[in-house]
Amino acid sequence: MMPAVMSADVPSPDRALVALARDGERDALEALARRVGRSAYVFALQLTGRAETAHDIAQDSVLRFFQHLDRFDARRPIDPWLYQIVRNRVRDLMRRESLRRHESLDAWMEQGRPEAVDASADPAADAERSDLQRLIWRAVSQLTESHREIFVLRDYHDLSYREIAEVLSIPQGTVMSRLHAARKSLREILVAEEGTSLGGPPAGGAIDE
Amino acid sequence: MSELQHGFNEALISGYIDGELTQGEEQRVRLHLEDCAECRTMTDELRRLKEATMTTEFQVPDDTQWDETPRGRHSGFFRNFGWLILLAWIVGTLGYGLWQVAIDTEDLFGVVIVFGFWLGFGLVFLSVLIDRLKTRKTDRYRRVQK
Repeated sequence: MMPAVMSADVPSPDRALVALARDGERDALEALARRVGRSAYVFALQLTGRAETAHDIAQDSVLRFFQHLDRFDARRPIDPWLYQIVRNRVRDLMRRESLRRHESLDAWMEQGRPEAVDASADPAADAERSDLQRLIWRAVSQLTESHREIFVLRDYHDLSYREIAEVLSIPQGTVMSRLHAARKSLREILVAEEGTSLGGPPAGGAIDE
Repeated sequence: MSELQHGFNEALISGYIDGELTQGEEQRVRLHLEDCAECRTMTDELRRLKEATMTTEFQVPDDTQWDETPRGRHSGFFRNFGWLILLAWIVGTLGYGLWQVAIDTEDLFGVVIVFGFWLGFGLVFLSVLIDRLKTRKTDRYRRVQK
């Protein structure tokens, strides 16, 4: 079984890793390649819904990342820059090959399937949360490209508005309004397509379906 | 519900949930939520959406997939330089062979043996070179060493 990665989990010692990698430290280079590869893969998967395509894009993005590592300002976080590379690769690929975003909802669900997480002592709540996560993921596939990418960057990867503006090359003021539109759209899809309401008790409790 | 409802910018709800507002904006949202049940419901639902999303985990390929380190710029430079020298050497040798054939017809057998070998070698090299150049644009792994 493939290991899972929490999409919002950004390791802290990135700066040291980048510095060591620049000095040619082999272990640091490999650790950085793994860290960057995983993040690039998850983001590419969330944008394309295709595991194989995401893998190719991640490989390519890792190469580009290292090609320009010397020019990277190590005081800044890695992720915005990396996601910008991945996003450009995804857009290039889609433009070049007229790649359809995904073949079907079933394929989207099968290839990008979120992992079930049994994190708490309440298996019933965990199961309900897991169901909701799958429904949300399915609804994400139906968002427009611009809504999907901004939603993914904020709610799956936990980027700040400033970082999102950097990745998408849009004014920071636009981030909040576009993100809100994406969330509203997702909420409407969940109600209309999935018959799921997000109402109910605070997060972690029962889900009204 | 429009973005601007009863004079309230609804997008601020997302900024509020994400902790991206100034103190003044936050205060304005809080006051609005006290009076507006519709926006309160939306805030709760979007919070729930965000919480479920942020705890989602995704499958990733095995870590060995990324155990490749990029080739350094210096080794890349030397490799390209080496190819250039090799190419120049082959062109020079073939040119010299042709010139020898043109001026010295006495030892024709020896010339054919030597020149034939280098011609064959050159053609094979050329075919490999053409293939490499053709695939160069699409070869994702050309800068990778195991």
